Amino acid sequence: MDSILNAPFVQDLVTLFKPALFNLYFLVLAVPFGFPLAVLLALGKNSKNKLLSIPARTYVYAFRGSPLFIQFFMFYSISLALNPGVWKPLGISWLMIHPLFIGPLVLVLNTGAYAAEIFYGALQTVPKGEIEAARAVGMSKWQEFRTAVWPNMLRLAWPAYTNEVVFLFHSTTLVYFTMPVINEQKDLLNKAGELFEKDYNLFLHFSAAALYFLVISIIIFFLFNLVYKRLTRHLNVDVSLKIKPNYIR
Amino acid sequence: MLEMLPHWLTDWLGPDGMASLAYITNGKHLSWYASVRYTLIAAGFGAILAVFFGLLGAAAKLSKFAPLRWIGDIYTTMVRGIPDVLFLLFFPLAFEQGVEYVMAQWYCKPEELATATGWPLCSNAQWYLSTTEYMVLACFSLGIVYGAFAANVIYGALKAVPKGQLEAAHAFGFPSRDVFWRFQVRQMWVYALPGLSNVWLLLLKATSLLSLLQITDIVSWADRLGAPNYSPLAGLVHGDWRWKYYLVLFVFYILLTWLSEKFFAYLQARAGRGMARAN
Repeated sequence: MDSILNAPFVQDLVTLFKPALFNLYFLVLAVPFGFPLAVLLALGKNSKNKLLSIPARTYVYAFRGSPLFIQFFMFYSISLALNPGVWKPLGISWLMIHPLFIGPLVLVLNTGAYAAEIFYGALQTVPKGEIEAARAVGMSKWQEFRTAVWPNMLRLAWPAYTNEVVFLFHSTTLVYFTMPVINEQKDLLNKAGELFEKDYNLFLHFSAAALYFLVISIIIFFLFNLVYKRLTRHLNVDVSLKIKPNYIR
Repeated sequence: MLEMLPHWLTDWLGPDGMASLAYITNGKHLSWYASVRYTLIAAGFGAILAVFFGLLGAAAKLSKFAPLRWIGDIYTTMVRGIPDVLFLLFFPLAFEQGVEYVMAQWYCKPEELATATGWPLCSNAQWYLSTTEYMVLACFSLGIVYGAFAANVIYGALKAVPKGQLEAAHAFGFPSRDVFWRFQVRQMWVYALPGLSNVWLLLLKATSLLSLLQITDIVSWADRLGAPNYSPLAGLVHGDWRWKYYLVLFVFYILLTWLSEKFFAYLQARAGRGMARAN
């Protein structure tokens, strides 16, 4: 037993546990804020009102058309530039230039755009008949959305959204490539890199980090699959999510 | 150089405009513009290698030989669970270490090998990589990572080729190898193009990560040029201008994406000539 615990790989897994929490922290903050932003953007993009649809379209295009890596650099440097003039006088500079704040913020803005595109695609494939039925029974706009559009949109978008969340988790690695590491707040790749620089044992440290990513990705798929089962429970077919790498940044 | 500009332009710009123009065309800025070549080369060669690895991966996934199928499946599943950044860092380092290991077997003395603790195993076995070598390694890592994405796309496209076409080819007496290469692969591109276009856009955005591999690309230049300068000897005195440079890169990548989309729409229209379309 002792020899297993002292195996270098197990030691690495123990060392990398705390860094993994930082990656999870970015994900856990980005998803709940990114989801409503994405739904609003998708509804905006789908809207007939040009004042809503053009800004939403532009936003989604800009954030999907540029690398997340650049977005991190850009928002971090904008925040740094605003620091002396705006954040310092307001007394919030400890928050506004902290990677633990800017990181999730940029991830929210980014996943908002990617997920909006997914939801927008789903909105367009919501069965016409159900919307017509909702109108036929005299539902209000809100009731129509609540009962016909929203559940269908969510169900249609869920597999792609699951992939988006997994790749959002993967892109949390970029946070500390673009922002300074404060105190010992290192994420998986930082720590793996630090271990690598000590003994140059590339395969050991990187595969331990990769294992964390793999396992957490699988857990995300498992959890989202449970939700998907619930979303499709009326369909009476055995459905399960398939991992498809269509969305990444 | 700027003296060659026509008078109406210099008059229109005025002294301030000319000073700005002189600033953004100074040597450092010209080096920045020139470093776009790394991005484009990595994207171009990375894409070619990605299609190559994608074809290999798809062929492996379709193979009749089970272990080859497993290799294909592991290759394409790998990228779904592990971030691309990890691979981009891992492949060049692994290759470098592999080469240094082989060099150590040749150049190191046996007693050095026996007592070696760190890496490289002895000073003779140190491989210093220049930008060119890092570029080659970066192209290969991009090709390997996005080849897995392309493999999925090509695999789907190969299966989308109508069976009748292949049966007809068989009926004409073409051997299986020819049926695969001359009919299935030849007809696959139309089905693969939309997916490959997505993979290209991903790869294009991943080229922003070149600076992680010690390459002085547009991102590292933007960081250097925008850094605050308080010494008049070093040029224009300015505060932290990094956000301006990153904003330029932000727009640059959006433009590249836009151009790529236009190009792929053209290719799609061209490749789809004579195909039945639903709308």
